[in-house]
Amino acid sequence: MSLPIHLRSGGLPSWAIRVGATLSVAGLLLWIPTHGSDSLIDTCTTATMLMAAAMSLNLLLGFTGQISLGHSAFFGIGVYTTAIGVTRWGWSPFVTLPVAFAVAFVVGVLVSLPALRIKGVYLALVTLALGLVFPAFVKWPKIEWLTNGSRGLDKTGFKFNKANPTYELFGWNPWGNLRGQNVKPFYFWVGVSIVALVYLVCRGIVKSRMGRSLVAIRDNSTAAAVMGVNLAVTKGIVFGLSAAMCALPGSLSAIRTGTVTPDSALLTVAGSITFLVIMVVGGSGSLWGPVLGAVVYQFIIERTSGWSDPNRIPGAVRPLFSWSDVAPGSGIFALTLILLMFFAPFGIVGLWHKAVATVVTVVPKPAGTASVVHQETAPPES
Amino acid sequence: MTLLDVQNVTVNFGGIVALDGLSFAIEEGHICGLIGPNGAGKTTMFNVVSRIYQPTAGSVLYRGTELLHVPAHGIARLGIARTFQNLALFPTMSLLENVMVGAHSQGRIGFLRAITRIGAAADNRRTRDFAGDLLQQLGLGHLAFRPAAGLPFGTLKRLEIARALASRPKFLLMDEPAAGLPHGEVDELGHTIQSIRDEFALTVLLVEHHMSMVMAISDRVVAMEFGRKIADGTPTEVQSNPAVIEAYLGSPT
Repeated sequence: MSLPIHLRSGGLPSWAIRVGATLSVAGLLLWIPTHGSDSLIDTCTTATMLMAAAMSLNLLLGFTGQISLGHSAFFGIGVYTTAIGVTRWGWSPFVTLPVAFAVAFVVGVLVSLPALRIKGVYLALVTLALGLVFPAFVKWPKIEWLTNGSRGLDKTGFKFNKANPTYELFGWNPWGNLRGQNVKPFYFWVGVSIVALVYLVCRGIVKSRMGRSLVAIRDNSTAAAVMGVNLAVTKGIVFGLSAAMCALPGSLSAIRTGTVTPDSALLTVAGSITFLVIMVVGGSGSLWGPVLGAVVYQFIIERTSGWSDPNRIPGAVRPLFSWSDVAPGSGIFALTLILLMFFAPFGIVGLWHKAVATVVTVVPKPAGTASVVHQETAPPES
Repeated sequence: MTLLDVQNVTVNFGGIVALDGLSFAIEEGHICGLIGPNGAGKTTMFNVVSRIYQPTAGSVLYRGTELLHVPAHGIARLGIARTFQNLALFPTMSLLENVMVGAHSQGRIGFLRAITRIGAAADNRRTRDFAGDLLQQLGLGHLAFRPAAGLPFGTLKRLEIARALASRPKFLLMDEPAAGLPHGEVDELGHTIQSIRDEFALTVLLVEHHMSMVMAISDRVVAMEFGRKIADGTPTEVQSNPAVIEAYLGSPT
């Protein structure tokens, strides 16, 4: 049989592959909290937060072509909405999630107002200003009564007590022990739920009329307007949604760590850059790109976290990194980014598509009501 | 019946007057050729009708509606579609998706319904089949799943027409559809324009430099120079108009 094998979209083999892939992902998700080590669960929970943030940025930048360097601020809005809600007003942490979503949506729409008139580098600068202002704003003395300034807030997390017992599913407990001994699986599931929600929202939009109009705005906004796309409203809603979805992992971060400070990494512009790089490495403009990017990023960071001590660097790569007295994780990731930009401008997902295309090509269903006429298949992306 | 009535439209770019009190009217069902030397303001006129440029003065009535009060994205819903001189396609999308975006003004699925998926699948199927049929009709069906980037210019020009037709227009503005086509294909394109006019009951405003094609298929021709109308009439009248001959060939001194 000659490669690539042609599979008809919607045919049995293509369905079998989809079901198989879904089951493997589900299996992996169940395996991590039940059989993985505590540190693996922690790593994966952090990865889910980065995934959700990078996915929300992807909807705005990857699909709509509107750059934002201010997503750390939206993440921060999530963090602080939860922290303030829990500590100042005694809300239950999970009530703060929808509130954070709503607050970030409004702020996102407001930020989009200048974005309607500017693009490219100028938009990058305006949103960069937002990212820079956020930590300073939180430390502003006039709102210290709310945010507690640069000291930050603590006890922002979930208070586990007798009211939150262990939940068992058929005698088996994937949630962790909620009485306070081991709550890591519980946060893992919250993270996974947020990612699933963000993924479904993005997927629903991308695969619809609105998704096509977003890519149209990215590719040629004048032509998009002539086709009837309301640029102002569409960009505004996407900005708002993207901001709102980015606030969700922010809320989780406040709930999970129990303390928030305005200068923690993901709340500063460094956070925006992290989301951006994860999105690009994974594959911008693809639904799974940020997921893969976040996994790769977080695992590189974890694997190399001890490397500031040269003795802990594995022998083979020791000469490469021993000169550095900080953990080289972000450096390695940056190098990955540069290499990928040369060899796979569409990121890990682009590489994956290229590899798969040599083995399997999915032939789309013919489009049209007329009797089926031969339609050429898409060539592998070059 | 008059479909489009352009009255005294003036467009200034800084100190340059691109359109200088231009007036003309188009009858419903006609193919109206808009000719003139480069820089006469033909494309500017297109950009005024599709609301990309805001004129400094004048009025553009479409079926009695003042177009200058309609936002750019509202034009498609009124039944006005256009093609672009230098291609304004969506290069990363497939041909099929390009045409599906063309049908944007026909769709009803907004963000809420897209996220909740209420009726979204049915809408996609409908739009997809409609777009597929249009591609077949313009002889592009076999390329439906190819990305637009990298295909030959002539193919992409046809794609522009298919995309414009996807909004089910009543009035189609075509900006140099024959530019860049090999000579043999120009006549064929002329036939295509006539046949889509008849089939879709269109009124067409055509900017074109291939005079033989313009004269062959137009019911009326408007000639422009320096942002002003210099002649208006049937193709034969315009061809013999001294002002037109002078604009193209210079005055015999």
